Amino acid sequence: LSLGRPVPIPDELSAPFWAAAAEHRLVLARCSRCDALAHPPDAICPHCHHTDPDFTYEEVSGRATVCSWTVLHQSFLPGFDELLPLVLVDARLDGPDDVRLIGRLVDGSQADLSAGDAVDVIFEDLAPDVAVPAFALNRQ
Amino acid sequence: MTFKRDAVAIVGYAQSQIARHFDRTLGAVALDTARDAIADAGLRPEQIDGFTSSALLPSAGAHVVQDGVTTVSSNWLAAHLGVNPRYATGFQGFGQLPGSVMLAVNAITSGAADYVLVHRALHNPVAKYHANPMQEAQGPDQWTAPQGYFGPLAMIGMTYNEYLQRYGASREAMTTVVVEARKNGARIPWSYWHGKPLTEDEYLAAPLVSDPICRYDADIPVDGVACFVLTSAERARDLPHRPVYVSGFGSGAPARQRLHLHWPLDDLYEVGRETARRLWTSAGIGPDEVDVPQLYDGFSPFIYFWLEVLGFCAEGEAHRFVRDGGIDSDAPKGLAILSGGGALGNGRMHGVPQMLECYLQLSGRAGERQRADTRVGIACHASPHYGGVIAYRSEAQ
Repeated sequence: LSLGRPVPIPDELSAPFWAAAAEHRLVLARCSRCDALAHPPDAICPHCHHTDPDFTYEEVSGRATVCSWTVLHQSFLPGFDELLPLVLVDARLDGPDDVRLIGRLVDGSQADLSAGDAVDVIFEDLAPDVAVPAFALNRQ
Repeated sequence: MTFKRDAVAIVGYAQSQIARHFDRTLGAVALDTARDAIADAGLRPEQIDGFTSSALLPSAGAHVVQDGVTTVSSNWLAAHLGVNPRYATGFQGFGQLPGSVMLAVNAITSGAADYVLVHRALHNPVAKYHANPMQEAQGPDQWTAPQGYFGPLAMIGMTYNEYLQRYGASREAMTTVVVEARKNGARIPWSYWHGKPLTEDEYLAAPLVSDPICRYDADIPVDGVACFVLTSAERARDLPHRPVYVSGFGSGAPARQRLHLHWPLDDLYEVGRETARRLWTSAGIGPDEVDVPQLYDGFSPFIYFWLEVLGFCAEGEAHRFVRDGGIDSDAPKGLAILSGGGALGNGRMHGVPQMLECYLQLSGRAGERQRADTRVGIACHASPHYGGVIAYRSEAQ
């Protein structure tokens, strides 16, 4: 019996993110108290530390800039062996908020990659109604 | 407030052999090592009235945690030594060994305990160290594990590559760090790597795990135990060995929340610089006054980060500093940051080699490895932005 990749289990704060991800839309939480994007959303706003951030969820573009990456030649989780070597990218979403996401680069390990490259958030379908963010190089 | 320098001293120690797997339980070895350390300090077990430690098993794997088998807590150790201490507690944070030492210092200076045993017992489970059969990613893991980002090797690979890209450094420069650690570790009788130095070619031929991290950039998981006995400077005068004083402390953690196990380089530098400032301010010294600088190397890139935040070289320059012979412990002008072998040269002992080398060199007990004119040491543990560092002195100011 081979196990698949782990799937995200939504909680109260993350449910809007994962519901949108299933539709291949990137939605982030914004604190109603300080107006900053909070990712990951926390019961206490990570910026203003308010205990009732009353998050609103808004769609963002998913255009991002590569900060770093690592290429996995070994995975400690099930379901990734056939994807090795697997490129994981750390990218900052364009815009005023310092939000950084980590996801697989679907272009693969042969892609020419540099810090500062433009990438777009796309989504990988893991199961019916379950998709997780990944990145694709934007060559425009 | 100013740090109460040199009020507490290390007065004895014991270090077990470091092995891939003990043929006895971790608890049994910890108990024998504790008894040896107490005897080394010229004390009896019933005189130990304080116990501090961290019982963390530093693995992302799905291992059952069992006190006395996979970990050893202070309470377990005290109970099995057959003493009922006034004070026994564990440290809950990063930089587990400096954190545990500071709990001991606080207990002694407050009078909560007179003689404190600080220990660290590390275990290597027989199963694959970081492997985890996770199918449901919950809590912090939900943001990263479904993408495949999991465990400390991916974490440090990401941070290390950010450094390489930003400063135009090559993977090859790190050869110097790992070969230096293994050279010194090969000279240490209790080390897992005793008699087994690493060549540059072996390092460069090693398989990549989380590129740019290769097999030898990570310390090897081991079974091992170390114990130290601490007491007040006054009581230390009546004990057999030359005391080594706790003279300063720096620690920190980022306020900025990130994804689980995501360590952006800017966070690391920002908090790391503050950790270093706290160390130098509390100890009343600067980097030029350190004779025994023991930097943490559980992953090799930590050496670059500590060298830079502590001010031994400029930010972004550590890869050149090490390549230019800056850390050769056998060179007259080398900064011997890995003279104790570190984690890469001993095994995954979580800050023990750094603290032990400071103690041995400053107490004059390093034997054949004794270096000249050793008065001030620093022992780092973990990352500069999620860790700690202690300054030690051979003479109270």
